[in-house]
Amino acid sequence: MTLTTEKNGTQLTVHLSGELNTLTAPELTALLDKELGGVKALTLDFTECDYVSSAGLRVLLATFKQMKAVGGDMKLSNVGENFQDVLKNTGLDAVFGV
Amino acid sequence: MAEQYTLRIPAKLEGMDLILAFVSLLLDTNGCSTKARTQLRMAVEEIYVNQTLYAYPSGDGWAEMQGSVENDVATFTLIDGGTPFDPLAKADPDITLSGEARGIGGLGIYMVKTMVDELEYEYRDGCNRLMMRRRLHEEP
Repeated sequence: MTLTTEKNGTQLTVHLSGELNTLTAPELTALLDKELGGVKALTLDFTECDYVSSAGLRVLLATFKQMKAVGGDMKLSNVGENFQDVLKNTGLDAVFGV
Repeated sequence: MAEQYTLRIPAKLEGMDLILAFVSLLLDTNGCSTKARTQLRMAVEEIYVNQTLYAYPSGDGWAEMQGSVENDVATFTLIDGGTPFDPLAKADPDITLSGEARGIGGLGIYMVKTMVDELEYEYRDGCNRLMMRRRLHEEP
């Protein structure tokens, strides 16, 4: 999985490319651990990632809680059809507002 | 009767890519839809990861994947010789909870249930056997 970031003040965008699965989810966790300090608005761009397994969802939920705890916000953008199905089936579409 | 293919590897997390490559190869040679391919790969990932975590608490063991395609339906069976464990017995998570009220885990097996057409667990001849079945294309 390839992760690229854009930071603008307290806004951080992470572009994901590849599959967010059990083996790659720790890469996203490590990146967020490093970059999330002081961030109030996080956007995760899924244009090039339409495979998100439960390990990926775990990172998203943990990050969502972390952002809420500091009064911040987390958004998912450009969610593809397969990922949308996963979010819908797990009720996370309502949680993440997609 | 459809030809059945088998892959047997050490039950370790690092083997996941190999298991998923096996799944992809079998599906791609049978003209599987993108949606069914993604869902079957994800379902297999969840079950395999579960196996590597729980089947052999006291050490190393093996995991076997059997796959076949017949009449546009794929069947995959994941087998191990570890501790009897039925992953389907666990209660489904409450998916209506808010983000704040949820735990962060427990969604894997539930996701599998939503992605395949048939799912069956059996403990037979000293082995855990988890069979899943899904159509390669949606109904028209």
